Amino acid sequence: MKLTRKELLVGGAAGAALGAAGIYELVDRLGDSSPSEAASATQAPEQHLVNGLRVERKEGVEVVVPLRHHEVVTAKVVAPQNELLAAQADLAAVLAELDAAYPTTPEALALSVAWGLPYFRAHVPKAADAHLPFDRRAQKPALIDAIRFPSDPEDTNLEANDVAFLFRSDNEENIRTAATEIADRMKGALAVTSIRKGFAGQMDGGKGLPKEMATAAGVPGADLIPDGAELFLGFTSTQRNALGPAKIVNFETLGLVDLGPRSYFHGGTHMHLSHIFEDLEAWYLNQDFRDRVNTTFRPHMLVRPGTQTVAQPPSRVASEREVSRDYSRYGMIGHSSSLQPASRLQQDIHGDDGTLYPKGTAIPQRADFNTLDNPFFWSADPKGDRMGDGPAAGLHFVVFNPTSDDFHRNRLAMDGVMPGGQKLKFPPRAPGQGFNSILKTTHRQNFLVPPRRHRAFPLAEIS
Amino acid sequence: MAALALVASGCSSNESKPAAAASTKPAGCPQAWRAGWQRVANRIHAKVYCPTWMPSPIDAQIGGQWDNGVSVEKDKSYLVSFLWHEPPSQDVHVNFRGYPGRTKIPRCEDTEVVGGKVRTTHMPCFSDSHGKRHLGSITATMYTVNRGVDQWHILYAWRDHGSLYAVSEHVIKPLTYAKVVSNLDRMVRGLVPVKPTS
Repeated sequence: MKLTRKELLVGGAAGAALGAAGIYELVDRLGDSSPSEAASATQAPEQHLVNGLRVERKEGVEVVVPLRHHEVVTAKVVAPQNELLAAQADLAAVLAELDAAYPTTPEALALSVAWGLPYFRAHVPKAADAHLPFDRRAQKPALIDAIRFPSDPEDTNLEANDVAFLFRSDNEENIRTAATEIADRMKGALAVTSIRKGFAGQMDGGKGLPKEMATAAGVPGADLIPDGAELFLGFTSTQRNALGPAKIVNFETLGLVDLGPRSYFHGGTHMHLSHIFEDLEAWYLNQDFRDRVNTTFRPHMLVRPGTQTVAQPPSRVASEREVSRDYSRYGMIGHSSSLQPASRLQQDIHGDDGTLYPKGTAIPQRADFNTLDNPFFWSADPKGDRMGDGPAAGLHFVVFNPTSDDFHRNRLAMDGVMPGGQKLKFPPRAPGQGFNSILKTTHRQNFLVPPRRHRAFPLAEIS
Repeated sequence: MAALALVASGCSSNESKPAAAASTKPAGCPQAWRAGWQRVANRIHAKVYCPTWMPSPIDAQIGGQWDNGVSVEKDKSYLVSFLWHEPPSQDVHVNFRGYPGRTKIPRCEDTEVVGGKVRTTHMPCFSDSHGKRHLGSITATMYTVNRGVDQWHILYAWRDHGSLYAVSEHVIKPLTYAKVVSNLDRMVRGLVPVKPTS
């Protein structure tokens, strides 16, 4: 299936772009099944959790089936300071209406509102000083500015959005309706800065969405994506063991965070948002299957040729010493194995509610998705965001961690900077350094995700 | 310069073949290219495969405008290469290889410096097989990950009477993966053997 010019183009204004699907209209045309009716579910106090996610076995491994459509809308607060409370009430009202219309299920809509440091600094600075959570381990606020990592290009844009809305659903129409509703109702209070769209393959047979979408878009290397892959890079990333369990990323769960005098953000978490270009041709033409397993998982891991879902149970989590040994022996580290000393629990931990999280349990909850944005679907600042012509293969990386520092520890480990302090020396984007060699990060920002009850202009009422 | 010449001549054809070459597979190596390929066959004392069609703008005339070199190793394996290059990053690059008397995929060496240490690894020169392609009398295996001068190329390899042969083309602008596969199909389908005469 080839795209028409209309499908490749997006309108100029944010409002038009929010209502447009562009190339992503194809997701439902190419998908095997249409979304079913929304099931009812109770809204959890947490915004980042999705009820009713399906778990299926793929190649003998339990896999969480990702939601098909994803969208992130970022914005700046433009409401005058003396109208912040009114804006808070307006946003709370529209979000409550959306909650009533759409339970947080894959068929309906999962909506998370996350706030950036620029909002807290500019609009509620005193309350933020008192109530923003503090990372005890890092001895830093739980929300800090994003940084450029060793393998990032020098021009990675560290963004300064006030707020990000993350929409996830199997039904694209629900996302479009909700995003348009929020933008319309919040005119004069929020100004949209970017719109980012994408999709995930649901591994439901055939060529799979990533391959079909990339091929339709004419992305170089698209023909080489394995049939049925969940992501452009050909491996399944949502296996159950590699995703943190329900409340593990809540600020309060692992005891990493001091919630302050009123525990205002109890039930909240941290979100990192970035955009990454993926060089599919380099991935599939320069690295054979063996190389791709080595670099994605662990050097010399035994995997049957053609496997897409590679088991990573807690019992097989790599230690820092093993990553270091791989580096000494093979001159390379795997993406997953290098992350695990930072991303998996190093010991059994009882959460604040008594839940036991065994050693080896994954902490981060990823919500990343394939995109053909270049780098965004729409930008209010096309020059600053270096908007390119035509579609490009990439990933909008969305991940929930308990704190900014926890995410930074994970991401640094991916570059060979281990949580224990050891630095495995690699030139930036060296082939031995996981799959960083084919990734190029264009944008990064950290956000705080308040609990549902405080998701609209948090702290405005006590400033 | 090459591109300028191409534009000036109004060449928009997607093929390059000598005047003698017909649209169907000719009986032998095209007249204009034959001498060079015969010299290679004679030099290695074994059969080589001469193309009858090449992707525009290059041709397969050894010693001609697009010749990128002929090399013959001690074991008589050969590499014949043709290249059109337009800075900064457009190529049409085709390699022909032969390994007389052996059918095993050759091994390539890779050296890199990690943490101040020089590391040398050996790996198959052609890997990530993508199945067989039946092209005329040749049944070739398509490999998508290739090393050395075939890096970033799609490569077709086949065995013939105890020898291994290969043709590869670079996946790079202005060509797409699909176009390179189509070019390779056409090149391999049109190959004709040239036997040594001395």
